[in-house]
Amino acid sequence: MSTTLRRKPGKRGHAASEASTVEPRDADGADDTKALPAVAAAENGWFRPSAGGWFARAAAWVLLLWLILAVPANVLSPFDFGVSDINLAIAAVIFAIIGLSLNVLIGYAGQLSLGHQAFVGIGAFASAYVVTNLGLGFWFGVVVAAGFGAVQALALGAVSLRVTGLYFALVSLAYGTFAENSLFAVSEITGGEGGKPADRPAGFAEDQMYYFLCLAFLVLVLWLDWRLTRSKGGRALQALRENPRVAASYGIDVRRYTLLAFVVSGTFAGIGGALMAHHQQIIVPGIFDFQLALIFVVMTVVGGLRNRIGVVIGSAFFAGLGEGGGSEGGGFLERTIGLPAEFTGIVIGPFLLLIVITLLPGGIGQLIGPVKDWMLGKRFDRNAGKLKEVEVSDVRA
Amino acid sequence: MIDEIGAALVIGVLTGSVYSMVALGIVLVYRASRVFNFAQTEFGTTGLFAAFVAVELWGWHYAFGVLFGLAAAVAMGLATERLIIRPLRDSSRVTLLVGTAGVALAAIGIQFWQNNAQPIRQMPRMIEGVAGEPFGTPVTHQQVITLLVLLAVAVGLALFFRSPTGLAVQAAQQEATASELVGISVRRVSMLTWGIAAFLGGLAGVLSGPNLTFTAGFLTFGAGAALLQGFMAAVLAGMRSMPGAVLGGLVVGVVEQLGSLTLFDGVDGSRALFLFLFLLGVLLLRPQGVFVREKATV
Repeated sequence: MSTTLRRKPGKRGHAASEASTVEPRDADGADDTKALPAVAAAENGWFRPSAGGWFARAAAWVLLLWLILAVPANVLSPFDFGVSDINLAIAAVIFAIIGLSLNVLIGYAGQLSLGHQAFVGIGAFASAYVVTNLGLGFWFGVVVAAGFGAVQALALGAVSLRVTGLYFALVSLAYGTFAENSLFAVSEITGGEGGKPADRPAGFAEDQMYYFLCLAFLVLVLWLDWRLTRSKGGRALQALRENPRVAASYGIDVRRYTLLAFVVSGTFAGIGGALMAHHQQIIVPGIFDFQLALIFVVMTVVGGLRNRIGVVIGSAFFAGLGEGGGSEGGGFLERTIGLPAEFTGIVIGPFLLLIVITLLPGGIGQLIGPVKDWMLGKRFDRNAGKLKEVEVSDVRA
Repeated sequence: MIDEIGAALVIGVLTGSVYSMVALGIVLVYRASRVFNFAQTEFGTTGLFAAFVAVELWGWHYAFGVLFGLAAAVAMGLATERLIIRPLRDSSRVTLLVGTAGVALAAIGIQFWQNNAQPIRQMPRMIEGVAGEPFGTPVTHQQVITLLVLLAVAVGLALFFRSPTGLAVQAAQQEATASELVGISVRRVSMLTWGIAAFLGGLAGVLSGPNLTFTAGFLTFGAGAALLQGFMAAVLAGMRSMPGAVLGGLVVGVVEQLGSLTLFDGVDGSRALFLFLFLLGVLLLRPQGVFVREKATV
């Protein structure tokens, strides 16, 4: 509905191009071609796939849903999806939530966080504490985790109003180190070296069921993220990421919307952390180290900033690498260069990252742009999803 | 109490000299490429591993081993400049930063892999033994050597930046286009700067490594973590002053060491807490840096 609303002012070229700069990467990514927005919109409006086209698209959708829903549950599938595979799938979904959380900060607000392991860890231990020590339910734990994530993000966001750009990245790095060494060392909360038990909720104790629970949370986060970008707040964030002073002169409350981005990101990270804790069932503080924070940033950027689907795929990919998911291809590498399977992720991942950022500035989101548009019923356009302008101001500096 | 503070000062300055070397490299790279180089300490760890392999596994003489380590660090720095920084010079700063973080992660991954058989290693010291015990804390010869090398490096860099080549480097960093016009190759200057920075990182690695046992990622998040501290020292220097970076490293070392006074025994991770509060204080009160004369333009 909102797309039809936006096409109306297409008669006035100025208004249309303004609308398109506000949302360059939504579903109708093709119609914000700079010069001729009205014509491009009309072209897309007239394009209808043929009967065969509809069939092919429907088949692609069914295949995708089958892959996400049926294969992990071992329903209608020839594969034997084992325990390690389902754990991999759960990790992928949780990492996707964390990636979306980081995307809100880096992509929408232009604030680089190198302490995101603290955001996630606080959520994880909050939920584990609520469930194990207070004896309250998992659902309450998730809410508390999201709340704690939001509150600590708000505090850090307050700092970001004064300390901007790369300097803020340093503050977040110091914050992560501080959380890792100070907060997560309080053994009453984190259970010390041995970790803290975090039971799964009744009915979701099985891996398969827990996977669907995480998937439901991912859908919730995706929906919230989508609503955020479509709202006034999302457009305000876009404007102030480009230039906070100009945004302020248009009456955008820079302070309020920066803090909003932090709160949203902290909430997502808290949810991701809670799911992570209950996935592992015993959560140890040692995993929330700086390397994890780097991997979070890397997977988000490789996925493609401001590109929801790209971030999800990138995060899932790096979760797979981290959990030893490269073992299928690992046999080949072990024979050729002697790289054992358990090291495939940490050795190959960074090189993939370097290749992606030097050759594909839009990340995975750029790579899958044409397929995504095609599946949404548009013409197959090889150039869909490419970055339209050189983005010089990803981080306020 | 007095003894304890004195000891904290001594240890702080000695560990701070490693931070100073890291900070010098960070400031140099920032001036040349406008990037926060997260691979700076990995140049050090890589150099340390290379030196270790040469000395312990191949049985080279210690001096040649150290030289080999430094050469490995410089080679890694030049490769980073050529393969990552130059192709990305027009990208946003977050992409550049992620690029250097990727270099660091790649190095750490390879270290984990190659070092799998025995994850914890010990590099022999240049001179074994304790040099003295000021305020009751033993200070090793290695630590004294590290401080002396830092002073030598500081003097060396000061002289270098007064030589014609050094002036060309400074000119290219201040005004790239104008220096191209007077015949300075900005590309070569960039290579040179990254080479020097990697050399400094390598020095930090081979000098601080023998004090402790080391693992993959030793200088980035391992036992000898110096990345955050190096950045803090660079912030104190306003990201541009070289003497400021040296002084900043020593100050950060002392501040961090104050966290280990018995007074704060009840606080978990008090050193990290001190660093965080200190960085926050500096950035909120004097974001342009402390040990720098004019206002910085970040």
